[in-house]
Amino acid sequence: MPDTLTLTIDGKEVTARPGQTLLQAALDNGIYIPYLCYFPGMKPWGACRMCVVEIEGARGTPASCTTPVADKMVVKTNTPLVHSLRQGILELLLSEHPHGCLTCHRIELCGPTDICLRHIRVTDRCVVCPKNERCELKDTVRFVGVPLETPLPYNYRNLPIEVRDPFYDRDYNLCIVCARCVRACDELRGDDAICMVERSGTVLVGTSRGTSLLESGCEFCGACIDVCPVGALVERKWKWEKATTTAFTTCPNCPVGCQMKIEVDRRGRLIRAIGDWNAPNGGMLCYKGKFGLEFVNNPSSLRRPLVRKDSHLQEVSWEEALAYTAQRLAAYKGSYAVLLGLRATNEDAYLAQKFARLAMASNAVDASYDTRPYLRRPLLEALGAFAPTGSISALAGARCFLVVNSNITEEHNVAGVPIKRARKANTARLVVLDPREVELTRYADLWLRPYPGTEHLVLGALVRLLLEEGLERKEAVGTVEGLDALRLQVQQFDPAQVSVRSGVPVEEMRRAVRLLAGGHPCAFLYALDNLAPAPAESASRAIVNLALLTGNEGWLFPLPPGTNQQGFLDMGALAGALPGHMAVDDASARQVLAQVWGAQVPDAPAVDFAGILAGVASKRIRAVQVVGGSPGLDTAVVHTLASAEFLVVHEHTLSPLARLADVVFPSATFAQRDGTYTSLDRRVQRVRRAVPPRGEERPDWQVFALLGQRLGVGGFAFASWEEVWREITQVVPLYAGVGMGSPWPLTPQRKRLLPLEVVAPSPVGNHDFPLALVVGRVLLQEGRPVQVVRSGRLNAIEREEVVEVHPEDARRWGVSEGALVEVVTPQGRQRARVRVAGKVPGMVSITHLFGQLAVQLASSEAVDPMLAVPRLEVLPARLEPVGA
Amino acid sequence: MSSHQEDLRQRIRQAIAGQPQPTVTILSSLLAVQDALGWLPAEAIEEVATRTGATINDVWAVASFYTNFRFSPPGPHTVEVCWGPTCHLLGAQAILQAVQEAVGLPGEGDTPDGRYSLKLNTCLGACAQAPALALGHRIYGRMTPETARRLVEGVNQGEAS
Repeated sequence: MPDTLTLTIDGKEVTARPGQTLLQAALDNGIYIPYLCYFPGMKPWGACRMCVVEIEGARGTPASCTTPVADKMVVKTNTPLVHSLRQGILELLLSEHPHGCLTCHRIELCGPTDICLRHIRVTDRCVVCPKNERCELKDTVRFVGVPLETPLPYNYRNLPIEVRDPFYDRDYNLCIVCARCVRACDELRGDDAICMVERSGTVLVGTSRGTSLLESGCEFCGACIDVCPVGALVERKWKWEKATTTAFTTCPNCPVGCQMKIEVDRRGRLIRAIGDWNAPNGGMLCYKGKFGLEFVNNPSSLRRPLVRKDSHLQEVSWEEALAYTAQRLAAYKGSYAVLLGLRATNEDAYLAQKFARLAMASNAVDASYDTRPYLRRPLLEALGAFAPTGSISALAGARCFLVVNSNITEEHNVAGVPIKRARKANTARLVVLDPREVELTRYADLWLRPYPGTEHLVLGALVRLLLEEGLERKEAVGTVEGLDALRLQVQQFDPAQVSVRSGVPVEEMRRAVRLLAGGHPCAFLYALDNLAPAPAESASRAIVNLALLTGNEGWLFPLPPGTNQQGFLDMGALAGALPGHMAVDDASARQVLAQVWGAQVPDAPAVDFAGILAGVASKRIRAVQVVGGSPGLDTAVVHTLASAEFLVVHEHTLSPLARLADVVFPSATFAQRDGTYTSLDRRVQRVRRAVPPRGEERPDWQVFALLGQRLGVGGFAFASWEEVWREITQVVPLYAGVGMGSPWPLTPQRKRLLPLEVVAPSPVGNHDFPLALVVGRVLLQEGRPVQVVRSGRLNAIEREEVVEVHPEDARRWGVSEGALVEVVTPQGRQRARVRVAGKVPGMVSITHLFGQLAVQLASSEAVDPMLAVPRLEVLPARLEPVGA
Repeated sequence: MSSHQEDLRQRIRQAIAGQPQPTVTILSSLLAVQDALGWLPAEAIEEVATRTGATINDVWAVASFYTNFRFSPPGPHTVEVCWGPTCHLLGAQAILQAVQEAVGLPGEGDTPDGRYSLKLNTCLGACAQAPALALGHRIYGRMTPETARRLVEGVNQGEAS
């Protein structure tokens, strides 16, 4: 078969690839054929018939979106026959879509309240449609041309507008039934929240039995909105606003680093985010990226610096705030720490650590959250890799997935999309190891459900079983160090014993290793939620071993918290790290850096987040600078930090921590600034400014640059982010040749299997709360009655929760099937009905619906609710009869 | 979950599991349930989804496509008047008129007292007996408006007495 075909479209000779459709070939060659149901990236559908063409020698007028290209094809896209067919099709479509304006020559001239000489009622006018500026039907009508008078009567469907689900407004009176939304949900996302209902003349988009999206399995990713060609599906907030500025930028809400276009209205508000179809995320976003950016528009954001005077925070000029801060900081050399928030960029991180080291003679630099170092340490030890080895854009090619203790669909959503798609298309196997019921367990071929805290033992047993069954990949283990030692060590992981402790049957473990070895390449995704550090480290090591043994060392995806943790590590802003993956406690590394910087690098000990908190408490650290992201801090941490002698906070709004600070610098949000983030798979990506500052907010790196200059330290004269970036490329050699959007290169230095030890599981329960409560959350639970009620203006789920109790525990606690109990944890109590089921004694589980979370997030009063989405936790618990 | 619901689910599961043919699809399962229960409750959609590895929305897309599926319980007496070409030529219009008057409905639907469900059927396959109607699963041929009226009224009285 030839690589390219030649065909003639409208007299122009063009080339196409075999397997392309005629429509794709024409569009690629700059020949426009109108279409409505086709969408790039989705399978051809052939429903709207707008793309009909004439092909020489072919019968009739085939739809170009479903016709494969053939060599020497001669195509005409704009003959009188095709034109009249398209007009006829449009007339049919318009008979069910308000079209008074679409067929009027004044379409762009009228305002919403103008008197219409054609008596088109206000609600039927294009100018009051939220998609007016981006309506594909309008573009098509304009291209094809429709006579002023359409012969068919207009049939208004008279359907109520669906406005009670969170985030979305759905007006099916405007729907042209192209099914793009249904196909996007199915094909692009691997979901099934919506379907086509009924048929022929009455067919429309809907849900099973007309239920709300809360109960139909919707994850509120907004893909359906982005593909809808008309005004039927829109984001609710800002639906009437029109974009005047757009920018391509990086989502600041998780380390997957989805690329998106943000739209800003003329008053400088961020009104929409739309996934970038050409980026590795393939146009996909999630509820956090689509609807979690509202913090940018917070009307009570900080506009000017605040300094505490007479025990009150007072607005001052930048000049005064900087002078005051520099003067105070000068007294804290060597007793200073800097903490970086969830959303700090590479430039912020780089200058923060440079400032701490050169100006403050301190190596107390870390992120202001638990960075889970056990996720990255084994990678370094085994492979010499300073980052996850996998690539998110390659995930679609995996033939097997092992997902360990990760709530991917909620916390790293778009990395989960290839998994769901692969499962739906049945092109890959999925093994989930997690005590919690998460969305991916429904897609799994095998769900290993261990007693919480024993995951690392199960993984150790998997390594042993893999070796025992001789399933290691022969060509891979030839170049791997430490195989013989590992064979001996894994003898400690007796599958039968592990099975007793974890509750996972040996047979299931055997099946798991067969699945892992059977699908190559196999991707390993692990966040290791809810594990204590020592077992987590052990689990992380076992996973790296599994990957090495199966020849998948390039498919490791530890899933870190925070947006830019990889960037922090690369910039030397995580505890113990210097820029360019050097270590603080390495004297020669300090020497190298001192040469580049032209200044002494302090040999003070590295201090991590926990150490900084302890240092503040013991007065060893007396000044702390916290860069943003403090909504994620819990109250105890806030109080510890506030007890420092001098607390400087960079923040966008007056957060609880900022209220207690001595100086607050107003921070520009991601949408108001330029810079770079590094995604979890090492892609360095641009953050671009689209929203003008409301007051005098500045990016955080600028504060460090200005403070450095004021303290008279050399090497802080930066006027723009590019200048900071330029220095980063000099100090971090890996970043030197890297283009924006592409990953920095990573080649494993070695392949060393990691010694495994049996680590005792940390018990979950205690004397008062002997059970382990495992909280799960899924999109859909068939067979559990859901009641949806109105809560204010929104739908809300009201249903009886069910707690699964093992038969043994049911006997011990004296509860029976169907009994109403209270599940009590140190954090609170919840009423639920007992279902005697479950495989693991000592573990009780409750599974919520994502719809409940969606309502909670949509109606939250918090400034930035999506930054701290409630995690799925494992808690000590006991059961109490109701009324006790 | 009440025992009534559990019982309903049990009947649905049996209907789905009891299909004799080798290929079990969403459609065949829906038909099996409708045959067993006379209609498709919400639980049937869920159970069919679970048994066929589909989602409730997939199943609903199929179920809502076919006008013969019912999503509310039928009356105890389902009257289907044949509307095929043969019956039509041999006077189905008058039969339908008579049945409509007998049950008191202007067209297809359920009577307010819930006793009758009236449907048009595109062909009962009893052309030799045309015009025909069906009561439940039983077909009656060579109807006249009068016999149709008496037949339909008769089932109700027969039950009442």
